[in-house]
Amino acid sequence: MLLIVLTAYAVLNLLWQGIRSYPEMPQTDPVTIHEARIEQLKPSLPASGAVGYVTTVENDRIFAMEKAIKNVEYLAQYALTQYTLAPVIVRNSPALPLVVGNFIDGPPAPGFLERHRLVPLKDFGDGLVLYRREGKP
Amino acid sequence: MTLRFIASLLPPLATGILLAFLFCPSLKNTAAGRAFALFAGAGLGLGVASCLAFLCLLAGVNRSLPIIDLAVALAAGIACFIAFQQPAAGEARPLPETRKRSRFAVILAGIFSLELLASAASFILAFLKEPHGRWDAWLIWNMHARFIFRGGDHWRDAFASGLDWSHWDYPLLLPLAIARSWSYMGGESLPVPAVMAFIFTFLTLGLLCAALCLLRSGSQGYLAAMVLMGTPFFITMGASQFADLPLAFFILTTLALLLFPARSRAGCPGALILAGVAAALCSWTKNEGLLFLLVATAGLFGITFHAGGGKQAFRRTAAFLAGALPVLLIVIYFKLWLAPTNDLMAGFNWDALSGKLFDWDRYEAIARAFFITGISFTQGLVDVRVGMRLNPGAVSIILLAVYLLFAGIRIDKRDRPFLLQTGAILLMMLAGYFFIYVMTPLDLTYHLITSLNRLFLQLWPSVILLVFMIAQTPEGSSPEHVTAPAPPHVKPRPARGRKRPRNPEVP
Repeated sequence: MLLIVLTAYAVLNLLWQGIRSYPEMPQTDPVTIHEARIEQLKPSLPASGAVGYVTTVENDRIFAMEKAIKNVEYLAQYALTQYTLAPVIVRNSPALPLVVGNFIDGPPAPGFLERHRLVPLKDFGDGLVLYRREGKP
Repeated sequence: MTLRFIASLLPPLATGILLAFLFCPSLKNTAAGRAFALFAGAGLGLGVASCLAFLCLLAGVNRSLPIIDLAVALAAGIACFIAFQQPAAGEARPLPETRKRSRFAVILAGIFSLELLASAASFILAFLKEPHGRWDAWLIWNMHARFIFRGGDHWRDAFASGLDWSHWDYPLLLPLAIARSWSYMGGESLPVPAVMAFIFTFLTLGLLCAALCLLRSGSQGYLAAMVLMGTPFFITMGASQFADLPLAFFILTTLALLLFPARSRAGCPGALILAGVAAALCSWTKNEGLLFLLVATAGLFGITFHAGGGKQAFRRTAAFLAGALPVLLIVIYFKLWLAPTNDLMAGFNWDALSGKLFDWDRYEAIARAFFITGISFTQGLVDVRVGMRLNPGAVSIILLAVYLLFAGIRIDKRDRPFLLQTGAILLMMLAGYFFIYVMTPLDLTYHLITSLNRLFLQLWPSVILLVFMIAQTPEGSSPEHVTAPAPPHVKPRPARGRKRPRNPEVP
């Protein structure tokens, strides 16, 4: 009897939590939101090959912050960019001829874009910019 | 689109179910047996279809996949038809139907049905909230499916892309199960990965229930499934579209099938072959599955050797490995020629390893994490920013312990070595996980927080199976089919030296 009551409670509690969060679905799903943003890039990119990636923080900090369990957002944004743009490979590096700039959490440090010779090709708004890298790759 | 999606599922489901009946013919004799074949077979069929899809990709004939799927299903159907045309005398004792349902069993079935509907609703709500699934779904599994499907003839490129963070060494059962459906449909569809997750979640529930209905009693089956449904993490992870639940399904299928020889006079080679297929599909689902395949083989051999001697141990293990071999060859090919090095192996070196093996603080940290997570994992995902916290919730391992305490233990004598085998395999899996953490090149806390609860969930349905196999049934007596004498039309057991009956499978 105890088993039946407790399992029923657990099942109904989970259902109640789901129902409570129903009004805010799926507008709050970060993946859906991010995918819709990144989709805009597709017509401007090649069908295959690789592009670079830059964001608010230096590239090497994207994974370091996640490993230190400090901030998983930058890795999530990078992974979702790759998830949306597959099969184009999105490298975590500014050293490619075409580079996706994803600045949803703010602009990069001053001088970062110049240091990597990144010139804006197209600004899609909402912190999404496609860059061309000047000079030899 | 929907019809094409259904068309993509029908051949594998049919193939799997037919294979289950082909290898375990006596399953067709009872409702519980048919349910078992339906649930186990459906999952096995999806796994086998994923292997076929991989072979078609390798051969460059993936456009012919529907024809190949259909041909395989047809071949399984013909094989079943021929097998069932054999004289009935060849088949040994059919499983008797369980006794007439008591009022308690009817009420239990009613509550079970309501909980099932509520769980399905919770799953659908979770899908509506996060249609792409959670972190690992879009970082690994669904992303791999996209790369394979969108990559077309260049599908191999992703494996050499250097995107190590997406774990391209992970096996392809789930990504290929998704990608092959998209191929049938001629385009991507967002609900497909979620439907695949739904199928494996509810197949696991159905399989647990059917296995216990078959091997113990209906009430045990319903209660066990209710415990699994009452595990919030089970439904949450199902809706998250991770590969951990498909792995849990194949582990449960293996362990349930390994219990079948307990009810067989001839060691049930068909069930052992199917168990081998299921165990190998574990290794085609996740890397942990390789450990399971190793441990299951060792457990089967060791316990059979102890209980029945070397000859029987070799015979049963050979049947098991014969089932595992075809899928295992695919996994070996994938690991040797396609997959990049695993992140745990990439950071491996002997000096660091010996330092870790003698670092007792690591053992203490892992043991503490095992204890906290062991009690709390059923409640859901760990917030990595908060860390591990003790949270038993309504349904946890404590509930199962209390249930065993009050219900009492009753183990059928024939089941004893096989239940020992199940327990030994589960314990060896835990020990294996423990030592992987001891040796991990990753930060220990990070590795434990991000994976341990999922590892426990992979074993959870099998732990519930084991507990309800040894617990006294609520009716207070053994089910009829365990102790009942053989029906009158059954031939008596042949004396030693006489010819055994053909096809003597009795789960």
